[in-house]
Amino acid sequence: MRTWPPIGIAAFLIGFVVIAAWPLVVQDVFYQRIGALVLLAAISASAWNLLGGYAGQVSVGHAVYFGAGAYASLVMFTQFGWPPIAGAPIGVLVSFAIALVVGTPTFRLRGHYFSMATIAAAELIRILASNWPLVGAAVGLMGPPVPRSIWDLSFISPVPYHYLFLAVLIVLLALTWHLQRSRMGYYLAAIRGGDRAARSLGVPVLRYKVYALLLSAGFTSLAGSLYAIMVGFADPDSTLGILVSVKMLIVAALGGAGSLFGPLVGAVILIPLEETTNAMFGGSGTGITFIVYGAIILLIARFQPGGVAALWNSILHRRQARVS
Amino acid sequence: MFLEAKDIVKAFGAFRAVDGADISVAENEIVGLIGPNGAGKSTFFNCLAGDAEPTSGTIRFLDQDLTRATPEAHARLGMARTFQVPVTFEDMTVLQNVMVGAFLRHPHRTDAQDKSRQVLEFTGLAHLAGSPARSLGTPGRKRLEIARALATEPRLLLLDEALAGLTPAEVRLAIDLVRKIQQQGITIIIVEHIMEVILSLAERAVVFHQGKVIAKGAPRAVVDDPAVVSAYLGHHMKRVRM
Amino acid sequence: MILLQVVVSGLLMGAVYALFSSGLTLIWGMMNVVNFAHGDFVMLAMYAAFFAYTLFKLGPVFFVPGAAALLFVLGVVVYLGLVRHIAKGPMLAQILGTFGLALVLRYAAFWAFTANFVSLPDTLVGGTFDIGGLRIEASRLLGGVLALIITIGMHLILTRTALGSRLLAVAEDRSAAMLMGIRPDRMQAIAWGVGAASTGVAGALIAMFFYISPTVGESLALIAFVVVCLGGFGSVPGALIAGLGIGVVEALSAYLIGAVYQDVVVYALFLAVLWVRPQGLLGTN
Repeated sequence: MRTWPPIGIAAFLIGFVVIAAWPLVVQDVFYQRIGALVLLAAISASAWNLLGGYAGQVSVGHAVYFGAGAYASLVMFTQFGWPPIAGAPIGVLVSFAIALVVGTPTFRLRGHYFSMATIAAAELIRILASNWPLVGAAVGLMGPPVPRSIWDLSFISPVPYHYLFLAVLIVLLALTWHLQRSRMGYYLAAIRGGDRAARSLGVPVLRYKVYALLLSAGFTSLAGSLYAIMVGFADPDSTLGILVSVKMLIVAALGGAGSLFGPLVGAVILIPLEETTNAMFGGSGTGITFIVYGAIILLIARFQPGGVAALWNSILHRRQARVS
Repeated sequence: MFLEAKDIVKAFGAFRAVDGADISVAENEIVGLIGPNGAGKSTFFNCLAGDAEPTSGTIRFLDQDLTRATPEAHARLGMARTFQVPVTFEDMTVLQNVMVGAFLRHPHRTDAQDKSRQVLEFTGLAHLAGSPARSLGTPGRKRLEIARALATEPRLLLLDEALAGLTPAEVRLAIDLVRKIQQQGITIIIVEHIMEVILSLAERAVVFHQGKVIAKGAPRAVVDDPAVVSAYLGHHMKRVRM
Repeated sequence: MILLQVVVSGLLMGAVYALFSSGLTLIWGMMNVVNFAHGDFVMLAMYAAFFAYTLFKLGPVFFVPGAAALLFVLGVVVYLGLVRHIAKGPMLAQILGTFGLALVLRYAAFWAFTANFVSLPDTLVGGTFDIGGLRIEASRLLGGVLALIITIGMHLILTRTALGSRLLAVAEDRSAAMLMGIRPDRMQAIAWGVGAASTGVAGALIAMFFYISPTVGESLALIAFVVVCLGGFGSVPGALIAGLGIGVVEALSAYLIGAVYQDVVVYALFLAVLWVRPQGLLGTN
């Protein structure tokens, strides 16, 4: 792997300190909440990134795993009284099942067909969930109204969530970093570069796509569970809707799909923007937030598909060219 | 038998791109597949490589039946190939491209990296190891295709028009490389248009025409074979008449 | 008898599906770019028809061609401003590009018109026909028949006119077409214009008998994808047959299982077909 230039290391350290100290420095709950939401978005976008960025399989239906995690946590609570976090592993298992049954066959498809199939599969499941009483049909499910123990993870302040999410993000990014450098990372990059060529070099393409999908689905599911715990509520639109899938995608793409910190950078830019737009224009009910999202995606696609990461690399290149 | 393909037929609906072709290759030979455009040599090549499944016929490599095996299985068994239009992994460096191949036999990164550096040295690309693969021109990309395939440590290398589109000077360098590869003990099957390449490199030539093998033997002899001449000339004449 | 009624109703709606899906298949076949905003084009056409009537008292005779013209212009603009640039880029850029456009169109409509449904009055194309015991609303009958005619017309234009053969030449082999003096860029812009115009007509027709809201584009887009995938991308006859088929499947599902699940059946069918035959029922590899 390339060694990092000093400016990159500096940026990383500064970024880490800012993120770690954020909730303690800003005393206002509104800003603390944004911090937690940024980290949550970074987790799901980084999870998406494993499949969509590194392996190049652009899924637009990842909400299905997010929703599985959210619902599993709350179903375990409503049916058995478990603390929602205990439902998270169940969510991961359910996601694995969905990944194997629904996700794997879609890998026979190339490019646009694959993406469309993921949309169709996610919409199908959303409609079914909207009519399934176990998950509260269209109304959804709620978490514990009053915390019964610390395990319910029902905090009034966003601060504990911030550090919980940060811990999960660190684990995910560390795993991703290790993966990137391993054989699996190279094989996924080869798959992104071209299935046919990868096969000719002995890469078991389908098997590795499935590995990437399982990892991606598992962490997306975990993000869904964490969301349900923090917000205390899940319904088909907020956890299985296409906007959930799209959000993961654009957060990752804005920062740079296929890069390690891209999704985090994307989250840092997009989530505060979303929350501020909501506050200024009166909630996502007016639709302005999504106009902004759409415009951002358009601009990235048109001018810089590699996102901020590509921009950063080209700036670095110019610096190095000037230096040498 | 090192490699033996018998009675290969590849049909697309009613059209038979390959209509009963055989080939047998001994170890460490260089065999050339030639023929006019549309003769079926590329389709046959793809069948050998595992990228196309023959409608009927058998392919045996190192005493294993590979007729319906996947390209991945081919690579694992020691048969590697390059693509006519190089499929470079654009987002990676030259070294990283080769490492993808090296990982087949060396699961650990440092081993794969060492092997890749050796291969880059061998193919004369060592000075470009850290360069982004997308910065390579066509000759570089073709050379990288070969390097990547070599990294899988094949016993048989299938080269698909690896010399097309190169200047005469580049062609000479490429021919040297192919000879060097043969010296390592690797067997080579090369699909080529350019007669001079076949004449200077191949020990045996197999001529395709309309899906069938119409001549086999030493390149000089095959070139003078009347059936071959009429296949090439006849093709040319048809175009002139139009 | 009721079953026949359901099937006929499905065929009429299916003809409209076929119409706007033909537009998508033309765009897709031309340049391998999937237009995720296609459903929202139809939505815009629906609103255009609505406002043409409520603000300017213009009837279908005006607003159907009017919506077609408007959407034609939009299609060309989208091609020149966006698609032309993303077509050369990575897959992610292509998906993001038209997806972003879809979001902008959908939520601009949401913001401008709110989420409330609106609709054109029933009296616009009024009455119900009684044909051999089947009751068919005049607006649906008109919509379905017109859609069918225009779809067949599109196919004829593509295969029988000079313009059509130029379009097909570019779709088949861009470089060869250039050598023949055809300008691919211009042809692709026209293709986008025509593709969008088909959504214009379809939207204006649907507006006569269906509710109009900013989010209808989402499910219409998926229906267009299903139809195009089933019919084979680039094939207008394929889109026609697949469109009619999907219309019938949807109507039958609504009748047999309930309207809530009609989309589920269509999507499941889509996934099943993709699984079994990734190139579509009538497409070639």
